[in-house]
Amino acid sequence: MLSKKQNLLETIKGGNPDRFVNQYEFMNLIMESRFIPSVGPGQIIKNAWGITFSWPEGQLGGFPMHDPDHKVLKDITQWDKYVKAPAIPTSDEFWAPAIAHANSVDRNEEFVTAPLIPGIFEQAHHLMGVEDALMAFYEEPEAMHELFDYLTEFELNVAKVLIDKIHPDCVFHHDDWGSQKNSFVSPDMFEEFFLPAYKKIYGFYKENGVELIVHHSDSYAANLVPYMIDMGIDIWQGVMTTNNTPELIKNYGGKISFMGQLDSGKIDYPAWSREEIAKYVELACKECGKLYYIPCLTQGLNRSSFPGVYDAVSEEINRMSKIMF
Amino acid sequence: MAKIDEVKAMVEAGKTKLVPGLVQEALDEGSAAKDILQGMVDSMSVVGDKFSTGEIFVPEMLMAAKAMAKGVDVLKPLMAGDSSNSLGTCIIGTVAGDLHDIGKNLVSMMIESAGFTMVDLGVDVPADRWIEAIKENQNVTLVACSGLLTTTMPALKEAVQTIKGSGLLGFKVIVGGAPVTQEFATEIGADGFATDAGSAAVKAVELVKA
Repeated sequence: MLSKKQNLLETIKGGNPDRFVNQYEFMNLIMESRFIPSVGPGQIIKNAWGITFSWPEGQLGGFPMHDPDHKVLKDITQWDKYVKAPAIPTSDEFWAPAIAHANSVDRNEEFVTAPLIPGIFEQAHHLMGVEDALMAFYEEPEAMHELFDYLTEFELNVAKVLIDKIHPDCVFHHDDWGSQKNSFVSPDMFEEFFLPAYKKIYGFYKENGVELIVHHSDSYAANLVPYMIDMGIDIWQGVMTTNNTPELIKNYGGKISFMGQLDSGKIDYPAWSREEIAKYVELACKECGKLYYIPCLTQGLNRSSFPGVYDAVSEEINRMSKIMF
Repeated sequence: MAKIDEVKAMVEAGKTKLVPGLVQEALDEGSAAKDILQGMVDSMSVVGDKFSTGEIFVPEMLMAAKAMAKGVDVLKPLMAGDSSNSLGTCIIGTVAGDLHDIGKNLVSMMIESAGFTMVDLGVDVPADRWIEAIKENQNVTLVACSGLLTTTMPALKEAVQTIKGSGLLGFKVIVGGAPVTQEFATEIGADGFATDAGSAAVKAVELVKA
């Protein structure tokens, strides 16, 4: 039986996996490396960038607040007046738990993985609101390029510390690039603004020993896949059924792999059922096949919103492995 | 090219800086304000269709809506008191427990572009606030309730049923958001449903003219 790591590599390199890669099993996420606290259920917090997040009790996640009192970046042309990157901790005391966790991982079995949340675009729209951010691409492209450069520089500085402290084998980078139906921006705009930033970030990680780049965007982004390949993404996590994943695998398998096809919105809800999960998992595995595909909920971490769903999906993937391998 | 056609082309292209001047030039040439407005409404309909089919993306739609708003600013002083082009007031918001606003804001822009006066209640709107807003505003012809999360679908149901059960009349209720389907809209008693901002504007006009 192959190790989790070997099985992942066989799957994404077109070899001979002996089972489906089961969701996030290959990524051992070093959550202790996240140094900017995020909002929890029922909380309102201001983070280290000055962004206020609210997570209403009983809801699925936290959201940045963009009313006039809370918006951090009020004028993109003066972004440098409003946007101040937080300090990156370097003390032994801060990093001790992350280093201990990383050292405890059998790197032959799993990838020591640095979680990077949020990404460049998410950080931009958390600062200014998504509509301002999207219009600024048109109205103030020079300022947006400067802001993206600043956020990229911050990410590169984070990367230097992460590589020094925990030597990740993998990064799991979160940046949502679209809705269910389409990318937020056109491919041309993506090429102009997003591609250069991510080529720098992912290129830096790969030049410094990171073997695997996993990018999360639980959206439609089929039109962006050539750019994902160009920027060095190995696995696109969060691929939704609206992308026609079997077609993507056919067209791009071997250059990039696809992780998802189990839309969280359809599966992970209060009245979820085991029968429904079994149906969706079976359909996904049969449609997408054994290579360049990892069955997974589209959610951007190794968990579900409602208790039991993640584990039930994992069990059904194991069942399909026994049938198909 | 006639000046109104230039206005239409520049609204569609999202040229926010050019549209106000072109609207003024169209007025100076003798075009009626209501005809210029109708031209811009027609352009936004084209923009909505292109968004629905994936030909254009969110920034292009936002820029077109902003360009039209700039043009409307020029026309407003000339159209004060003229309600002949108005389709009435639309109350819009995201239902209780849901803080998402991008979809709601896009729908708001597109419905406004179709000729409605918008009253935006923002996000996390409790059921009784919808009723207050309908009572507070004149000529409410449409109420648009948005919900993105599967967990707020019960709140969407509560909002629609509270509004429809209030005894208030003279308006239609439209719902939308990622988890909403025609079946769900029908089940909770909404008059209409749309899958995106472009089709929401078309549906809004259809509902109030029915």
